[in-house]
Order: sequence, then C-alpha cells, then structure tokens
Amino acid sequence: MTAVIQAVLNGTMMGSMYGLTALGLTLIFGVMKVVNFAHGSLLMVGMFAAYWLIKLTGMHPYFALFIVPPFLFFFGYFMQDLVIKPVFKAEQQVREPLTVIIVTTGVWYVLDNLALMLFGAEYRTVRTAISGTSFMLGEVIVSIPKFSGFVVAVATAVGLALFMKKTRTGKALQATSLDREAANLMGIDQYRIYNLAFGIGTAIAGIAGCVIIPFYYVYPSVGVVFDIRAFIIVVLGGLGSIKGAMLGGIIVGLIESVFSQYITSTWTEAIIYAIFLVILFVKPSGFFGHKQDW
Amino acid sequence: MNKSLGKKLVGLALSALVTVSFAVPASAQKAIKIGNVEPLSGPSASVGVQGKQAREMAVEEINAAGGIKSMGGAKLELVYADSKSDPTVGVSETERLINTEKVNIMTGCWNSAVTYPATQTAERYGVPFVVPVAVRDTITERGFKYVFRIAAKDSWWVRDQFRFLKDMQEETGQKMKTIAFVFENGDWGTGFAEKWRTLAKQDGYEIVLDEPYPSTATDLTPVVTKLKSAKPDVVMLVSNAADAILLTNTMTEMKVTPKVVLASGGGHADPKFLENVGKNALYLFDEVEWNTDVNKPGAKETNAKFKAKYGYDLTGESVDAYAAMYVIADALERAASTDPKKVRDALAATKLTTGPAMIVSYDGVEFDENGQNKNAGIVIAQIAEIDGKLDRVTVWPKSARRAGYKPVFPAGK
Repeated sequence: MTAVIQAVLNGTMMGSMYGLTALGLTLIFGVMKVVNFAHGSLLMVGMFAAYWLIKLTGMHPYFALFIVPPFLFFFGYFMQDLVIKPVFKAEQQVREPLTVIIVTTGVWYVLDNLALMLFGAEYRTVRTAISGTSFMLGEVIVSIPKFSGFVVAVATAVGLALFMKKTRTGKALQATSLDREAANLMGIDQYRIYNLAFGIGTAIAGIAGCVIIPFYYVYPSVGVVFDIRAFIIVVLGGLGSIKGAMLGGIIVGLIESVFSQYITSTWTEAIIYAIFLVILFVKPSGFFGHKQDW
Repeated sequence: MNKSLGKKLVGLALSALVTVSFAVPASAQKAIKIGNVEPLSGPSASVGVQGKQAREMAVEEINAAGGIKSMGGAKLELVYADSKSDPTVGVSETERLINTEKVNIMTGCWNSAVTYPATQTAERYGVPFVVPVAVRDTITERGFKYVFRIAAKDSWWVRDQFRFLKDMQEETGQKMKTIAFVFENGDWGTGFAEKWRTLAKQDGYEIVLDEPYPSTATDLTPVVTKLKSAKPDVVMLVSNAADAILLTNTMTEMKVTPKVVLASGGGHADPKFLENVGKNALYLFDEVEWNTDVNKPGAKETNAKFKAKYGYDLTGESVDAYAAMYVIADALERAASTDPKKVRDALAATKLTTGPAMIVSYDGVEFDENGQNKNAGIVIAQIAEIDGKLDRVTVWPKSARRAGYKPVFPAGK
C-alpha cells in the first residue's frame, strides 16, 4: 500500500512539472496558432541558464527563479521579434502559418547545436542545497526538490490564469487568441502581443528549467525528452487551456508512476499513448479545448 | 645570407641525404606490417584513438628492444584505417589493407558490429586477425582458424559477476538470497538480463524483481519505488550514462539500501559518473575490463608512462590493444616468418604469461580451439573513499585486488 501512495504522490509531483513544461507551449499556441517546435530547446536554454547560474555562484536554486525566467522572457521576446515576426508578416493571410512552424523547427536545431558546440554532449548535474533531500510523511518519502517543483508549478499556473483574466494585457492576449482580425480592429497591436506571448511562454520554460535542474541533468538535446510529452499534454488538456495543461500533465505523471508499479516501466509509454487516443476519441478537443476547429 | 654559408648548408643537406641512403641497406630487414582497423572518427572515436596510442607505445617498445630477433631484428610497422564504426567501411578497409597495403597481420576493430564481418574477410584471405577487444560472443564461435580474441566475451562478463558474488559471500560468510535486475531496455541490457536469469537460478537466488526501463526516462522514481518494495539483497544494473546518474541519485533520495549494488560498466564506468553522483555511489561495485590500480607487476609504471605520453590513464580497451602487440610479437618470434599459415599456427600455440603484456587484469594469454583467450577475465572495482577522495578500487579477482583494501560487503549504508 505504501508503494501505491508513494507512486501517486510522486506521479502528481512529476506530472505537475510536466504540466509546467507544457504551459508555455499551450499559451503560445493559444495566442499565435503556432505549434512551437523550439519549445523543448527553450526549456533546455532555461535548464542550462539555471545550471550555470547555480554552478558558478553557488546560489540556492530558488533564487535562480528570480533571474532565469526574466532573462528567458527577453530571450523569447526578441527571438519572436527578430526571427519569427518577419515570417509571420509574409504569411499574414493564413490562419495557421505553416512556414512559422518550419522556422521554429529551425530555431530548435540551431539552439540544440549551439549548446552542443558550447557545452559538449556530456550530461551535467549540479548539486544544489536541496538535491537529494527529502522528508517523511508517515511511511512515504517526499523528495523536497520535487515537492517544491510541484508548489512552483501550481503557483505558476494559477498566476498565469489570473494574469489572463484580470489584467488588460492578459485580456488583449485572450482577444488575439479568439480572433486575430477583430482584435486588430479594436486597436490591439497583434505583433506586440505575439512578442509578449512568446516571451511569457519562454519565461515559463525558464521556471520549469529552474525547478527541474535540482534533481535532473541537463545536456543539449534534453528538450526532446520533455517535448513529446508536452505535446501530448497540450492536446490532452485542450489547446490553449492552462487548466488543461496542468491536469494533462498530472494524468501523464500518474500513469507513468502508478502503472509501472504493476507492469514493467517500459510499457508505461505505450499506455500513455493508448489512454491519450481513447480520450481524444471521446473528446476530440481535449478536456478544456474549444469546440471550433483551430 | 652570404654565399659561403649557403654553400655550407647545401653541402650539409647533401651529406645528410647520402648518409640516409647508405643507412637503408644496413637494416635490410623488411618491416612487418600490422594492419589496424579502428573507429578513428564517429561515435566511438575516443576509444579508437586510445587503442591507436596504446598500439603505438607497445610497438615503439618492441622495436626499441630489438624488434623480432628470430627474423634478424625486423621492425614492426603499424598501418591504420578508419572504420568510422561502420561495418561496410570496416570490411572495405580490411580488404584494402590486405590487398593494397599487403599487411601480414590484422587487428581491430573494437565495435562488435564491425569486427564480426571484418574478421570474416581476413579469414577468407587467410590473414591472421588478432582482436584485442570486441565483446560479441559469436566473433569466436564460427569455427574460424585465423581469428584470435584477447579480451573476454559478453557471456563471460555475466559469468564473472556471479563468480564475484559467490567468492565474496564465501570470503565474508554473508549469505545473499534475493536478487533484483534493473536494466536499460536496449540490446545490451536485455542481453545481459537473459543470461542473468539462467545464472541466478543456477546459483539458487530468488529473483524478486526483473525490471527493464527506457534509458531516456525523465523519472526513474517509479522503478526505484518498485525496488524499495522488493527489498532485494543484491541489485544488478545495466545502465547508460544518464540513467546511471539518475538511478544512483534517486536510490539515495528514496533511501533504498540493498546490501550489494553491482553494475556492469557502461554508464557506471563513464568518467562523468562519479562527478555527477558523488558520495551517493559509495560502495557500489562496478565491472570493468581493467582498472589503473590492478595489482599486477608493471601496471603502474606502464600506466604512468602512457599518461606522461598522452595525458590520460590507460583503459580496458587500450590495455588490450597494448597486450595484443606483445602477443603478435611473441608469435612472430616463434614463427620466425611472415608466412600467414606459420604465424597463425604460432598464435594458436601462444602461452604468454610473462612480459610487459601482463599488465592485463588476468593471468595470461592462451587461445582455445576457437581462438578465444581462455584466461580472459574482468575486474570488479568498488567505489570507495580513499584519503577523502572517491576512487575505484579493484577488489576482484583476488589476485588483482589493491593491496591493503578490504571490500565493504555487504554495503547497506
């Protein structure tokens, strides 16, 4: 029984972090209608930024939370402004700009290979103040880095939801997401909004990087491992839905953790896909997706 | 430059040329060519280069000691080809070395996938092929006459893991009853696990967990949770680089403390492993081909010499390559000819138990009827703290154990 409780707890904590990695992806898609293939690479950039910051200054990983995400916000903001926007402008009349997707794929390759050139292919871990620490909850062991990751992930999701609902900028993001042309007519500068969306999405990848680094390792193609999961989670939760991303993430985490107590862990991947297909069959737009065809 | 100095220089250069041309007939002995196919670029390049440098050092030593005396002091000459870890390239390069370069003996190729077809090519031409290291069992199980392997084969790695467990239990009087297998789900891990099951049954262990996992997993906590509930005495692992790190750290975090953790090289032998796990790996046993501290005469000195020359320690692969050169020199000495058939017969009759080659972790080179070195073995090292620094200490076989070290067995921290 302890093992099951342990597995549920661990699955929830890991899942919330998977959700966090998917949050930026779902936001960017919701606003821009672009599947950002560079998302995993941005997560990698966030992890490397956190890694070097902690490694070189020896700071607590949660101080890095105040440095890495803002840095990544500007990174994403200007990447969108300089690399993606020109392509967007050329494809103005298209609802789902395909060329942009190809550009993000290019960005993914450039970033991954740049990291390979700069840091080499080796795996790096950083021993932080909380790495490997845990507390007992009765019989169950709770890993402190994962638990704090869970707290940060939930706080980020709640914060983002509030931002979207309460602030003017958030409303402008939503309006653009609902109807690009109408928002334009209302005087919203859509390109500024895109820059913002990309910046925020990238900053969230930076937050994810900071909470993952204390218990995981970083290497240039680390994004790929999280990417595939993030895509599944985004579709599962409904494209553009914040709640959906978190719920989808936790479901994937739970499947991974609980099922592997009863069957070999190599099967969990297959079960994730199977359940994913079943849910899509029943609810094609995911849990909280809109009914319209994106 | 004034004229007279120029003239002098030209004169010097000419006289130098003359001396050189006169020096040639003095050593009329033709050099004996050894062809080497190694991965010098591509994914296994680092290992290929290590093997190349070890060969060079051995050949320099052999030539400096007077070459092959029975053939009038003939010198050995190394000819290289790059396999790029690609079987097709390996075969065509083997053909080129044999037909164009006219090599007398072949060695190579580290990658099993390359060695397998390359040795077949050499067999067809009737050229002796010495394989320093390539682990696939079948390389020496095809009834070939011209293929000889120095290092241990795959199934022996597993065999030695169980021998080690048995020996250690006898030595300490501690009985291990239950065993868990945790391994990466690629060819390598699943191949090991198949052999483990048979041997574990033979030795009367109860298998309480048999768990493959994907090397790319983002979280191995579920696997470790399972391991925790299974409560095995012994955990056996096959892991690649990243998962070895993750498993070790997760086990510490989840307070999983089996009596014995035994890994199979690979990720655990990676120099980066200790850097990334630190003390979490304390008392873990790891199986490797060779270790810098093996208790063998000359090992320390040879390693020091190699390190001074190339800047890093010898490894299992490079030690086998180094020994291979001495095995070849020994066979040539006895054959007193470069005739392939005679060299082959001399190789088959090899009984090398002394000399510089014996820095290997086992006690000699002697080939069975398939050309496999009967004595080849593996060492098992324990991660221990020596003078405040983590180190890999050779503990098994006992003949190679670091002097004065007492293995921590069982190690339940």
